[in-house]
Amino acid sequence: MTDTTLSTQESIFTSTARDWSSDMSTFKGVPWGKAMMWIFLLSDTFIFTCFLVGYMVMRMTVTEPWPVASEVFALTVWGVSVPLLLIAIMTFILITSSGTMAMAVNMGYQRRKWAVFWLMVATAALGASFVGMQCFEWTKLILERVRPWYNPMGAPQFGSIFFMVTGFHGLHVSVGVAYLLIVATRVVRGKYDHTNFEIVEITGLYWHFVDLVWVFIFAFFYLW
Amino acid sequence: MATEGQQHPIKIYFLIWLLLFVFSFFSYLVDYLDLQGNLRWFLIVVFMLLKAGFIVAIFMHMKWERFALIFGILLPPIALVVLMFLMAIESNYAWNTRVWYMGEDMAPKPKPPEHLHHGESEEETHY
Amino acid sequence: MATVEVPYQETVPLHHPKTWIGKYIFSQDHKIIAVQYGITAMAVGLVALILSEFMRLQIAFPGWEFMNFFTADHYYQAITMHGMIMVIYLLTAFLLGAFGNFCVPLMCGARDMVFPFVNMLSYWVYLLSVIILMISYFVPGGPTGAGWTLYPPQTITAGTPGFDWGIATMLISLAVFIVAFTMGGLNYITTILQARTRGLTLMRMPLTVWGIFIATFLGLIAFPALFVSAVMMLLDNFLGTSFFMPAVVSLGQKLDYSGGQPLLFQHLFWFFGHPEVYIVALPAFGVISDLISVHARKNIFGYRMMVWAIVAIGALSLIVWAHHMYVAGMHPSFGFFFATTTLIIAVPTALKVYNWILTLWRANIRITVPMLFALAFVLTFIVGGITGLFLGNVIIDIPLSDTYFVVAHFHMVMGVSPILAIFGGIYHWYPKLTGRMLNDTIGRIHFYFTFIGTYAIYFPMHYLGFIGVPRRYYETGISEFYPIAAHNLNKFITIAALIVGISQVLFIYNLVHSYFKGKKAPANPWGANSLEWCTPETPPRHGNWEDRLPTVHRWAYDFGVPGEEKDHIPQTVPRRKAN
Ligand code: HEM
Ligand SMILES: [Cu+2]
Repeated sequence: MTDTTLSTQESIFTSTARDWSSDMSTFKGVPWGKAMMWIFLLSDTFIFTCFLVGYMVMRMTVTEPWPVASEVFALTVWGVSVPLLLIAIMTFILITSSGTMAMAVNMGYQRRKWAVFWLMVATAALGASFVGMQCFEWTKLILERVRPWYNPMGAPQFGSIFFMVTGFHGLHVSVGVAYLLIVATRVVRGKYDHTNFEIVEITGLYWHFVDLVWVFIFAFFYLW
Repeated sequence: MATEGQQHPIKIYFLIWLLLFVFSFFSYLVDYLDLQGNLRWFLIVVFMLLKAGFIVAIFMHMKWERFALIFGILLPPIALVVLMFLMAIESNYAWNTRVWYMGEDMAPKPKPPEHLHHGESEEETHY
Repeated sequence: MATVEVPYQETVPLHHPKTWIGKYIFSQDHKIIAVQYGITAMAVGLVALILSEFMRLQIAFPGWEFMNFFTADHYYQAITMHGMIMVIYLLTAFLLGAFGNFCVPLMCGARDMVFPFVNMLSYWVYLLSVIILMISYFVPGGPTGAGWTLYPPQTITAGTPGFDWGIATMLISLAVFIVAFTMGGLNYITTILQARTRGLTLMRMPLTVWGIFIATFLGLIAFPALFVSAVMMLLDNFLGTSFFMPAVVSLGQKLDYSGGQPLLFQHLFWFFGHPEVYIVALPAFGVISDLISVHARKNIFGYRMMVWAIVAIGALSLIVWAHHMYVAGMHPSFGFFFATTTLIIAVPTALKVYNWILTLWRANIRITVPMLFALAFVLTFIVGGITGLFLGNVIIDIPLSDTYFVVAHFHMVMGVSPILAIFGGIYHWYPKLTGRMLNDTIGRIHFYFTFIGTYAIYFPMHYLGFIGVPRRYYETGISEFYPIAAHNLNKFITIAALIVGISQVLFIYNLVHSYFKGKKAPANPWGANSLEWCTPETPPRHGNWEDRLPTVHRWAYDFGVPGEEKDHIPQTVPRRKAN
């Protein structure tokens, strides 16, 4: 009963039923922290989706005009107005940080501590620069007299929901940066030497989730 | 707890990295080319879901997890789909009642952002 | 990867605190945390009880000088605090924080929760949320008087008591509570999924653990909606955003809000609120199933059906929320959808009731105090469940909305029933927790006062509802449309409520007295089978088991098995070789 030899021939339903009806652990071979992180992320998904549903409802019910995102978020470079330039750069940065994070996880399982350290620090640096750009974008909007309670271009809900959701996402990124730095230093200090470095993967899960949320924010707030 | 961990050839991460850029670029293009209407919504959502799918499947290693975990995590959000769907219907209804019964303007035009029309607005500032 | 799995907790050492503070105050032991949760929840529940007595006095004797200090504002504040405390800070915290913490590791054969430190934090953050809630009595304007549903726009417009500070403390307290719940809940779920002992499959778990498991899971995915609506409401109130606030005229002034959608709040609130009902009910179902089976000396009828009913109720509870909004002015065809799902959810619920009754059928029932509470639970739950069917139908609900019928319904189904389950659970597990028996006579007196008393309170309320007495009224005055008899009935209800309230002193006395003077408890006083009764010591020490975790060979319901000489077989006893 406790033998977890797995045949790859099993159908996905058989294997699921078997894991769920086994003793000791349901997610075979998944460390506690990782299981917990997944469930937390599930809960966080509900938070973000509720925010996004709020956005949808606002957008669909207001009768005042909604600003055109690609004009609002355009940057003027050398006299030319490029739509969504800053957002494109931010997206680029966040995807890159996801890439470095994935590499860090890989290095972790190879027990290359310094590689893990530098890759995580790079990830954190990219994350921090993302937050910096978000500050820039907020400043720009505020200078254009957009407020959480007011928006010169039309529906005030535009400002409300924008600041709230990007703010909440930015908070997640900032927390993630701190989390990354803490784990990175603890890795090189040898705190996790007795483990399999799954902590790097757990941190990575969180970080990729933040990236994932950005994918949706990018689509719904800037392109829609 | 004995685990092998998630170890995969680095090549695949680079591939996904690249793909994410490509998809982001395409969705950016949707805006740049100013596609409108159903085509726009369709493309945006498709690229969004593709990107999300790759992040979850490869970067978060969902693809290599056992189905016990995959089902456990991916089934509950169905409730969110229901919420979203019903709220869309509800909002549509609310908008209709506002427009029909309260005589609101049906398709008002937004004012352009300020960096596109300097110094035109005379409205009071709300600080 | 052909490995033989060993329970991870057998391989790692436990954190052992040295100091008294580490052992009993900032303890990471799940049993101590359970007690801390329980005491805090009971203390704050007592506040809610006292508030309800004031409300009852006001309803029964309007204009009585003694109650002059209790103004209409006070009434609304009391209603709000009473409802919110009862639902969240008492029932949720007690059933999951106290029972969850106590039962999950013990019944799963684990040494502790998977992350004891996070578990400890969970309690302290919960305490913080309770303190913030209590602070609302000391801020300018007092606590919010918006009703526990906190519907905007009235919640944050002038005229409602506590519309600025009171609502802020309430919302912040809720957000903090959600953080606490998440920390605890992640622990319970991970422990149940990943840290069971040898041989303990999910389908061998006692139903208590199943109830706690699904309820916690529901909490983790339902509380986010409350969190989000709390954040948006705070922004509406303090930053002047208009998420929920349409253009309103308040006290003759047009406010700065425009274009918000109040129904969005109601939807988000009930997307949380309905699962919340089951967050409270499912652990109670679990506890009751175990109590009935143990004290009736018979295996639970239809164990698998019970498990699947819990799962089905959990899943369905996420798509029934708008049955609280039939009169809110939502999309006209939503009523049909939500009435249908609501009536469907009644099927697994009724199944559970049938199974409890069939468990009792021709059983060797022992009328112990926990069993009394369990039987009472079934009775009240049936009443509450049946009135739920009425309210689930749109056409019946519309005239009954916001009357005392609703008050009677939800008090029966989610007020009294879970409280009875909590009492039953305490009488059942107290011997294991403390090593002492609770006093049986006091227990019985407490039971009869509580059970008959609550019936006397809530049963007549249905009639009040039928004749149209409205809910949430400070004073109804002498109305034409309902008879004087209604006022007399109100007096009767209040007297019953006072008796019930006072009789709780017996319970608290019993808890404290028996802790010091109670009879020494044997290791397994009820002859139960689940793992918590198999610990090497009573009360179990930190770490619960000696160096080897128990091994489970069977389900927890082997009572009176034919051909066995003992009348019950604990889960740790190996099965006979099949022939
Ligand atoms: C002896 C015990 C109790 C008494 C005497 C009592 C009494 C009351 C009274 C008088 C009201 C106000 C009704 C109105 O004016 O509309 C009320 C409301 C309420 N009670 Fe209780 N209650 C008790 C226990 C509970 C419990 C255990 C719960 C747990 C769920 C609970 C939950 C609520 C809720 C949610 C409300 C609605 C608050 C609102 O309208 O915003 N009560 N109760
Ligand atoms: Cu409900």
